Amino acid sequence: MSAGGSGAAAEAIPQNKIIAFGVLGGIIGIYAAYFLVDMVGQYMSFIGALGAICGIIWGAAAVRRVASYGLGTGVPSIGILALGMGILAATFGLSVGGVAGPIIALITAALFGLLIGVLANKILKMGIPIMEIAMTEIATAGTITIIGLAIAMTGTFDFAIVLKQVISTGYIAVIFIAGGLAILHPFNANLGPDEKQDRTLIVALEKGALAMVVAGIVASINEGASGSLTILIGLALWYIGFSGYYERVKRDAYVVVGSGQLPTKEELE
Amino acid sequence: MIDIAGILMSNMSYLILITLGGALISWSVHFVPVGGAPAAMAQATGIGTGTVQLAAGAGLTGLVTAGAMMQVTDNMALIIASGAVGAMIMISVTMMVGALVYTYGVGCPPASAKVKYDPITKDRQDLYVSQGTEGHGLPTVSFVSGVIGGALGGFGGAVIYYSLMSIENGLPLVDLVGIASVFAVGIFFVNSVIPSYNIGGTIEGFHDPKFKRFPKAVISSLIATFVCAILAVLSIGGL
Repeated sequence: MSAGGSGAAAEAIPQNKIIAFGVLGGIIGIYAAYFLVDMVGQYMSFIGALGAICGIIWGAAAVRRVASYGLGTGVPSIGILALGMGILAATFGLSVGGVAGPIIALITAALFGLLIGVLANKILKMGIPIMEIAMTEIATAGTITIIGLAIAMTGTFDFAIVLKQVISTGYIAVIFIAGGLAILHPFNANLGPDEKQDRTLIVALEKGALAMVVAGIVASINEGASGSLTILIGLALWYIGFSGYYERVKRDAYVVVGSGQLPTKEELE
Repeated sequence: MIDIAGILMSNMSYLILITLGGALISWSVHFVPVGGAPAAMAQATGIGTGTVQLAAGAGLTGLVTAGAMMQVTDNMALIIASGAVGAMIMISVTMMVGALVYTYGVGCPPASAKVKYDPITKDRQDLYVSQGTEGHGLPTVSFVSGVIGGALGGFGGAVIYYSLMSIENGLPLVDLVGIASVFAVGIFFVNSVIPSYNIGGTIEGFHDPKFKRFPKAVISSLIATFVCAILAVLSIGGL
């Protein structure tokens, strides 16, 4: 049970596995997209978005864990914080790191997240036992999301190109909102006494797929990346996510009934 | 690799300005009457949305107005004043529309549950608070407090943006604007979430007892923004 504010959330999949899934999936996705776009062709840029989805699912799982203690501010704030920290770390890592950029960005994000977690518990006295680790996870997941979606848009994480095609054009705002929503929305939509981990995470997949479709649309006007495959795979993943969510809603609900059509004016009289 | 110590030393003044700007934003959030979800149902005083959304809305407007002013002048005072005024207008309009909705739509009088008399108008408050609520609408003191918050937040945001734009670098202007905005927004979001955790999501303004907690958030923001500032100065200065 994890109504906001009731303590630790029950988990069917242990968090360690999700962390491994998010970090490894994210890094593999980012680097595979980077190298395969060069070696195979532009259309491989969609792998970056798959990496971002791994990060999104991890981020949503971490938000779920920390927000179930009750933040007092609503869940969206933590998603915004994730992307706020992520955007600082990602821009820093990519601009100084070259090929090692994503790794530097992830390490920076982890340290920065840890700092925010320590500040929250030690100075603000929030008293959430997992705040430090959760903030570390959320910042890192946000960074993976931003870099992954940026690669899906441009086909590379070379900072000169990312700066020109993602940041200066303003698509970074799209990444910010689409990625932030994908991390904060799953728990926000599902929280309550009957919240279940798999139902929350499948929403993360669905929202991540939507972000992937948006990244694909942006990629279609950029030279280094190809959008059609990203959009198609994104739509397929969205369908899997949405139907999976609907199935779990039906599973968890006491009963699902149709309300029928609204009565017409004549019927009301 | 880039010359880390050299860049940090040559931009030390901007590093400090960014840090102070972040602390100002953190302080400013405590002035804004944030009601959160209860206020959306007219069961708490303030605007019916979260701190982050309000701070972001006002702060980003401040960044836009500061950026617009930056196109025509290099005068730091004008740019910062422009940012502050932009944020003040944005938060005022939000509060005005909110007050209209609460008064004429929901049909409840603006009333604070935290004080017996409005410190500014001296009007009695507790008689008008509906049973079972924590006040509703936007009493005068909350409105004034919100405008002060907007001014401080816009001021802080504009200081950050101005400092980021002034760091020495080899970027063309259009890319510099892009990366400076991204860092300013990132720093703004981090500094609007930290105080919102400090006040537990809702506050009525400077008359609220929770307002006294602000030093904790300001100290946290000073530390966090200093790290942000180092990242920002190194990224922009290294390009």
